[in-house]
Amino acid sequence: MVTDILEKLKTTIGAAEISEVSYEERGYHISVAASKETLHNVIKFFDDRKFYFEDMLCVDYKDYLEVVYFFNNYRFLCRVKVTLKVDPANPHVATMSGIFDGAAWYEREIHEFFGVVFDGHPNMGYLFLHDGIEFYPLRKGKVRIPPEDRERLAYFKVDEQEDAFTVNFGPQHPSTHGVLRVVVKMNGEYVEAAEPVLGYLHRMQEKMGENRGFMQFLPNTSRMDYLGPMSFNAAYVSAVEKLCKISVPERANIIRAITIELNRISSHLLWLGAYLADLGGLTPFLYVFDDREQINDILERITGSRLTYCYMRFGGLYNDVDEKFIEGTRAFIARMYDRLKMYDTLVTKNVIFINRTKGIGILDEEGARKYGFSGPVLRSVGVPYDIRKTEPYAAYGRINFDVPIGKSGDVLDRYMVRVHDMEVSMKIIKQSLDMLSDGPYVAEKVPKKMKPVAGDVYQAAESPRGEVGVYIVSDGTDTPYRMHWRVPSFSNLIIFPYLAPGTLIADAISILGSLDLCIPEIDR
Amino acid sequence: MGKRSIHLETKDAIIKFALLDDILNLARANSLWPMTFGLACCAIEMMSTAMAKFDLARFGAEIFRPSPRQADVMIVSGTVTKKMAPLLVTLYEQMPAPKWVIAMGNCAISGGPFLFEDQYNLVEGVDLLVPVDVYVPGCPPRPEALLEGLLKLEEKLTGKRRFPTPEAKW
Ligand code: SF4
Repeated sequence: MVTDILEKLKTTIGAAEISEVSYEERGYHISVAASKETLHNVIKFFDDRKFYFEDMLCVDYKDYLEVVYFFNNYRFLCRVKVTLKVDPANPHVATMSGIFDGAAWYEREIHEFFGVVFDGHPNMGYLFLHDGIEFYPLRKGKVRIPPEDRERLAYFKVDEQEDAFTVNFGPQHPSTHGVLRVVVKMNGEYVEAAEPVLGYLHRMQEKMGENRGFMQFLPNTSRMDYLGPMSFNAAYVSAVEKLCKISVPERANIIRAITIELNRISSHLLWLGAYLADLGGLTPFLYVFDDREQINDILERITGSRLTYCYMRFGGLYNDVDEKFIEGTRAFIARMYDRLKMYDTLVTKNVIFINRTKGIGILDEEGARKYGFSGPVLRSVGVPYDIRKTEPYAAYGRINFDVPIGKSGDVLDRYMVRVHDMEVSMKIIKQSLDMLSDGPYVAEKVPKKMKPVAGDVYQAAESPRGEVGVYIVSDGTDTPYRMHWRVPSFSNLIIFPYLAPGTLIADAISILGSLDLCIPEIDR
Repeated sequence: MGKRSIHLETKDAIIKFALLDDILNLARANSLWPMTFGLACCAIEMMSTAMAKFDLARFGAEIFRPSPRQADVMIVSGTVTKKMAPLLVTLYEQMPAPKWVIAMGNCAISGGPFLFEDQYNLVEGVDLLVPVDVYVPGCPPRPEALLEGLLKLEEKLTGKRRFPTPEAKW
């Protein structure tokens, strides 16, 4: 399929700009260097062929800025990188938010961090930064934000309108699961418009990636998504392993899969508790924490921490597992089957719960493609797309499992997908434990200081919330030149302003909760 | 926000009733109501502390109030960014006195792992914004550490430690 696309692309766009890339080395298949004139056609080309919008970022190469788009396909694996060179003296690019709606937020992000202006964009207001900012944070060297641009910082203006009133929801509100702020315009009990305001937890992770060594950045990955740090660990170490061509021993790969899945269960459990608390049921919260503590105890034995795990290393792991870990995991799985049954009677069969979730917040596949949402939110619409299947990392290639999907794409389906996801995780853990054989848990001769050759790499992984992608540009030194994170919660949140209008405020909260947001991940 | 500022001590009342104050402080110490206010990773450990295994309720502090007007302890659990700073101060000001602040985690204490040259969005310690009573270090601190922080706060209020630390006699 990749060759088909390549051929067609060459005939439509012209061969000069297109090159095939080694997926094993780079993590993507095709690279297209578009120009201002061809960009629209290139993007339209992928839109017509039902590619989905995966990621968008910018890199400052000092002489020029480069805007990078990633597209991928649900049906067959074909990741495409489209690049566009931009003159830093006159950084104007045509917006593509008209073709792929999800790009709107990515363009706003690039605008505030690099100063690239997207012509034709409906709202270039700042998304993340606070109003004391003076320089574009991710530009190399200090580039001042021009005064006319600074006006965009306070972009959100409450308009006066009779009958309508504005509710400030967050950043300190129990239902936002952290420091998310949503400004909601209400008409009576109905939501008219909802506008998220981000950046209350912007911790400069991408900037930090540029000023510390590869190894030094590793603990940051677990702070980025503190509910599912193992997946972020895995994405990052796999990316660097790809870049530095380090191979991982068998045993390490299997243990990686086990710990990632344990972590997935604990993340879904926390979501379950917090989401039901949003809906008014506080009891499950106590139950899920009981289960979570079991997982914490198991993982603490080998990782040394309860929450922000930093367990994986380039070429392997920090620590080997022991008999007690294996026993504990088996005991936990056995217990968890009973607990899931209990959750089923406690929650899933509860008529109030069903009435609060069924038939609201409906998504579809076309929307998924345009907005780029992923993970359980995507699978709830019936697309069996899972990075563990399409681009197996760790030991997933050799494990036999099905991806649970939903049908109608409503909130209830999202809930069901996550509950089934836990069962799948348990199945994966069981199989992996059986596959576990003796051997080294870390590769030999991994250099202390990583010094990859110049080049870029994209690595995706399936976190509990969806597709996490890390894009690293290396210039051959021991620090990354640019590091970009594609985080699932960000792409999943984009859909909220479009889902909320017209719903009751109580339903809007139910929809927001069903997206399973993790704020530090959105803000990075 | 750049420089460390000095806060005036406003917690001591001008008029004091010796015995009544002691009794009030004892009551306050045993029913500290924290505010439901999580900033980042540390908030998850704060939740764990309140749940069954660690059971914050043993010390009378399990009633997390979502409204600052009903809370007397603010547990700053996570990274304070410059965008969040004015809101945090507002929340603090909305709490009725007497009120206390626990800085939980390295981020709240000093910026923790996110402190680097050229940083543009971090408040380097919540004590630059509001007066802090107890610092609980860790990234994140274990629930036991937060409990210890709470006991320290009680000690600050009553002048006595609820559970004496056993002396090492071995
Ligand atoms: S101290 Fe560590 S765990 Fe706590 S908020 Fe900061 S980074 Fe997260």
